[in-house]
Amino acid sequence: MDFVASLDDVGVSLGGHPVLRGITLTVAPGDVVGISGANGSGKTTLIRTLATLQRPDKGVGSILGADIEANDLVDVRKRIGLIGHTPALVPELSLRENLTHIARLAGINEDRIGPALDVVGLDEVGSRRAEAASFGMKRRIEVAHLLLRKPQLLLLDEAVSGLDSSATELIDALVENTIDRGGAAVMVSHDRDYLNANCRRTMRLATGHLEVTT
Amino acid sequence: MSFWSQAWEIARVDLSVERRVGETMRVVLPFAVVSLIVFPVALGLQVSFVAQIGPAVFWALGVLFGMQVALRQSAADSPERRDLQALVGVDPAARFVGRTISGVVLTFAFLIALFIAMVVLYGPSLPSASVPALLLSSSLFAVGLTELGTLAGEVTTGLRNRNALASLIVAPLALPLVIGASQTLEALVRDESILPWVLLMTASGLALAVAGVALARPLEEAAR
Amino acid sequence: MIRIRVLFGLAALSTLLGLWLAFTAPPDALQGEYSRLINIHVPSLWLAFLAFGVTAFGSVMWLIRKRPRWDRLAAASVEVGVLFTGIGLVTGMIWGQAVWGTAWDWGDPRLASTAVMFFVYLGYMALRSAVEDPVAKARRSAILGVIAVVQVPLVYFSVNMFRTLHQTQSIRPDGSTMPDEMLIAMLVNVVAFTVLYVALMAARIDVAKAEEAAKGEEMLAGDAVKPPRISEVKDV
Repeated sequence: MDFVASLDDVGVSLGGHPVLRGITLTVAPGDVVGISGANGSGKTTLIRTLATLQRPDKGVGSILGADIEANDLVDVRKRIGLIGHTPALVPELSLRENLTHIARLAGINEDRIGPALDVVGLDEVGSRRAEAASFGMKRRIEVAHLLLRKPQLLLLDEAVSGLDSSATELIDALVENTIDRGGAAVMVSHDRDYLNANCRRTMRLATGHLEVTT
Repeated sequence: MSFWSQAWEIARVDLSVERRVGETMRVVLPFAVVSLIVFPVALGLQVSFVAQIGPAVFWALGVLFGMQVALRQSAADSPERRDLQALVGVDPAARFVGRTISGVVLTFAFLIALFIAMVVLYGPSLPSASVPALLLSSSLFAVGLTELGTLAGEVTTGLRNRNALASLIVAPLALPLVIGASQTLEALVRDESILPWVLLMTASGLALAVAGVALARPLEEAAR
Repeated sequence: MIRIRVLFGLAALSTLLGLWLAFTAPPDALQGEYSRLINIHVPSLWLAFLAFGVTAFGSVMWLIRKRPRWDRLAAASVEVGVLFTGIGLVTGMIWGQAVWGTAWDWGDPRLASTAVMFFVYLGYMALRSAVEDPVAKARRSAILGVIAVVQVPLVYFSVNMFRTLHQTQSIRPDGSTMPDEMLIAMLVNVVAFTVLYVALMAARIDVAKAEEAAKGEEMLAGDAVKPPRISEVKDV
């Protein structure tokens, strides 16, 4: 089987300190993997490693068919979507301008921006500056951009923390959309109930290793 | 999106943000003009001497405050934005070029405004060819200084003392630009060729452009 | 350890020989005894240029190979280079004061550019000390090491671009302007300084290796955080 992501005995250090040690994980097409863990257990580091934004110090892995240690991961990264702790928006631009900026950089047809804003429920507040927008609005813009980009591997880092029920449903719909297209999703959260309810299998990150819980 | 399209888009957003925030023209420039006033006051200079040192003071302040334009907070990307740019496929070299384009525009505007202030405050007597020479040397100065500032900003990104450390890195490396720019005007006064100084600044700018593009990928990884 | 002792021994011997030649060579007719400072001033700056060139080489090699040894080489070379630049600047100022009547001539761009080269590499050292992660430290330093080397040609060629008080290069492709005895003494001192550079580098790299080895096996970052004792909260 061609895995969407596979890590074999991967270790990662940050700031000179080991954070992950011996991570082994495979993610197949259609998988929704949930990972929980205590603060500082390395969940964000794991997500960034899967996103190819953090190079491992040891071990081997492949993401969407590319070696995780390869020098040029540009094409692979374009097929990865990430919602991180903090929304990645330009504060001085409006929500619509932020989405337009991302779309242009990604080479996405700007005609699709309006409908995407409409779907996430931000068509009437698109002109609001990002720095004046609520956390929930910023999250919805991130969902809009991922709906436009249609990633094959979706990575969510505490994506539903602090969101209301409608925004949470939007995140769930994004995950479903990704799976329906043959992709996979990995989400990390403190909320084990959410992970149990929305993931096909869950794991726990402790002592730098992953343990299967369901 | 092509390399140049990405670069122009990054430059466009940088300039849009600057237009709204006004860090360069509403903060850095006034601060530099105040410094133009501080110099002769602190030194207790006579009027004739003030006129003589005007151009030199201009270039000194040009480099010290010009680097603040390149290092401005509004151009500093958050770690999340860097990650996003990497994931949507932004070429790191395009990012460097885009940042340089927006920085050059702002630094050039800053220098011209500061020069006008210097002429008003210091009253130097300059040869008639000063204006085109100034425009040329300011352009080359802005290019080199922006490239240096962008590189130093990237190398120090995320560090607590980023501004001070980046300034420490830029200031000495900007010496060829200061020499070239100040000697261009000096050469005009002495009725000599400005070509060697123009070539010095051009060579500096080209070397930094090549370095910036060649080191773009390691810089992107270094910033994480 | 033996290797380093041998190197320092050789450095001491060659330095003693260089000093002996420096003091037995005839002094310059105009500058007198102060001309002997050339045997420290010039070799210091040449070795500084070599050291920063080695830093640039080590930096490029690290960017290509990502091996710690290249970072150790680059970092050690900067430290020694800064030391030699400092010695060159101080001896130059003493010489200038004695011969020109001024320790610092603002009309001399080479003095200024050597001083700023000193500060560029002080900035390099400051950058290294500001980054904790060894890989990030190596990467950022390597990038700065490559950029910083543009200063070296500028220092050397600035003498030819500006009219200055500073003497033009004593050794030119078409032959030297120095008497043979002075030239031999200076060249021997260049060799002595080179051996000293190698010895200092070897010692510094050994220290860096020992520091890395002393770090040992570290506890996982997350494991250092213990579960809170909730039942004891009320007793605080």
